[in-house]
Amino acid sequence: MTSILLITLKGIFRDRVFQGIMVMALLFLFIPTIGSLSMRQVTELSITLSLSLISFILLLLAVFLGGTSLWKDIEKRYTFSVLGLPLSRTSYILGRFMGNALFLCLTALFLGVITLLVILWAKGLYPPSRPVRWDNMMIAVLFDTLKYLLLVSVAFFFSSVSTSFFLPIFGTISVYLVGNASQEVYDYLHSGSQAVKVLPGMVVKAASLLYYLIPNLAAFDYKLQAVYGLDIAGRGMALTVLYWVIYTTIMLALTAVIYERREMK
Amino acid sequence: MKVIDIQGLKKSFTGKRMQRVEALKGIDLQVGRGEVFGFLGPNGAGKSTTIKSLMGLIRPTAGTVRLNGIDVHDPASRRSVGYLPENPAFYEYLSAQEYLTFVGRAFGMVPQRVKERGEQSLRRLDLWEARSRPIRGYSKGMVQRLGVAQALLHDPDIYIMDEPMSGLDPLGRALVKEIIRELRGEGKCVFFSTHITADVEAVCDRVGVIVNGALRMVERVDRIMAEGITGYLLRSRSPAGEREQIVTVDHLSDLLSRLKEEGQTVTLVEPVRKNLEQFFLDIVKGG
Ligand SMILES: Nc1ncnc2c1ncn2[C@@H]1O[C@H](COP(=O)(O)OP(=O)(O)OP(=O)(O)O)[C@@H](O)[C@H]1O
Ligand SMILES: [Mg+2]
Repeated sequence: MTSILLITLKGIFRDRVFQGIMVMALLFLFIPTIGSLSMRQVTELSITLSLSLISFILLLLAVFLGGTSLWKDIEKRYTFSVLGLPLSRTSYILGRFMGNALFLCLTALFLGVITLLVILWAKGLYPPSRPVRWDNMMIAVLFDTLKYLLLVSVAFFFSSVSTSFFLPIFGTISVYLVGNASQEVYDYLHSGSQAVKVLPGMVVKAASLLYYLIPNLAAFDYKLQAVYGLDIAGRGMALTVLYWVIYTTIMLALTAVIYERREMK
Repeated sequence: MKVIDIQGLKKSFTGKRMQRVEALKGIDLQVGRGEVFGFLGPNGAGKSTTIKSLMGLIRPTAGTVRLNGIDVHDPASRRSVGYLPENPAFYEYLSAQEYLTFVGRAFGMVPQRVKERGEQSLRRLDLWEARSRPIRGYSKGMVQRLGVAQALLHDPDIYIMDEPMSGLDPLGRALVKEIIRELRGEGKCVFFSTHITADVEAVCDRVGVIVNGALRMVERVDRIMAEGITGYLLRSRSPAGEREQIVTVDHLSDLLSRLKEEGQTVTLVEPVRKNLEQFFLDIVKGG
């Protein structure tokens, strides 16, 4: 498994993905300037922008690295040479996942540090009215990372059942979009509002089913708490972590089971 | 125990429009230590399908396949196997040396040994100069050579190679044949597929001919060669001059004694044989 992990990381770095991220990280330099346009809440806006930028970069990585990782090996016929080694398919999948995950974590760490510097800078330029909650910012980045790791596992799951990159990429994007909205939809459906009552029961049931099937990504969003320095409940975090562990494990286990049975023709 | 053990292997592929292709129709084959087995067959006969089944890459529809006594669905069956896929492809962003390091790690070799064996096999396949260049920039033959090098790396007992000589220049083909002969000398088991009868003649102890997913024949190469003798070319000299004639196997001794009576000296006796290629063509066409 470590052998696969290492070559996965090597492959990502050799593809100059990290250099690409460094270039994108230059965007962070503009954040205080853009933030200052708001005149008043410069620091708050800078935090929002930074966290959103991190989120966006991690999303790209999760979808395009995670979604093509397994597909590329099949497409380029590497599977024959690699799976002919005495490695189980499960360790191959886990090695691939860990490689992607490690890279995502490194990127998040790197961008997180840049964010801290940018916010320090913005704070120096335009002192904010309320103190910056550094702990909340770190929590926000951490949970964002977890969210995208989960998304990578979803991309892997799609890759295990598909022979092209189409399903992994677009399936993962769809899950991302639906996963962010599912909590809202669920809450709305169960709010007892008048509008919901006229909906056929089937629709409500289907929406609920989707809610349980699709990962609830909104739960990983701590941006607001980071921006406005709100308190974060430890219990909520613990539950989210637990949810992450269970969901990711199930995704990877399904991926491994399907891949074990898959034919390398 | 035979190190390669295939019993009743069947494989059908189901295509897009539910068409079934019966690629293998019940293969039984055992290969032992110290034996070089040539797997001969026309295009689409099922050679690669058999080999992919041996490597656990595809699941048999029926039958059992074992390597070193271990069923191939267990990755442990591949622990002492060097595998060269058909038209191989290796992580192209790595260099040959890095790739061997990866393979060595997958086989659980200690770094020092990977280094030694790696250098040995890279030098042997004439890739030493190119070892630090990314595989992306290798020619087809160089990739094929790397394929042989990575199969040799961990000094396995079993070598399974799908058309090992394809894409190689004459030097490379000769080299691979030499390597195969050496492996036999070390008591290894080599199983390789090919289209080229001369390669089988040159290095194999036994040959199996597969046509349309069925084994038509499995036989010792020396026996085929012996059975293939259809007659003898005989050259003799007398004061009247030199003379050449071909006799059938049965009439050789008669002719020899007659020539002796006539006072001629025999200068050459050479077997005339049906070569393996004709043999192969007869089998393929005869079904
Ligand atoms: N993935 C697949 N799907 C459908 N049919 C397949 C598949 N792979 C192989 N076949 C069929 O199985 C048969 C055997 O193919 P195989 O690749 O084993 O032949 P081969 O002996 O290796 O030929 P070659 O000498 O051309 O390499 C062929 O009829 C082929 O069309
Ligand atoms: Mg083939």
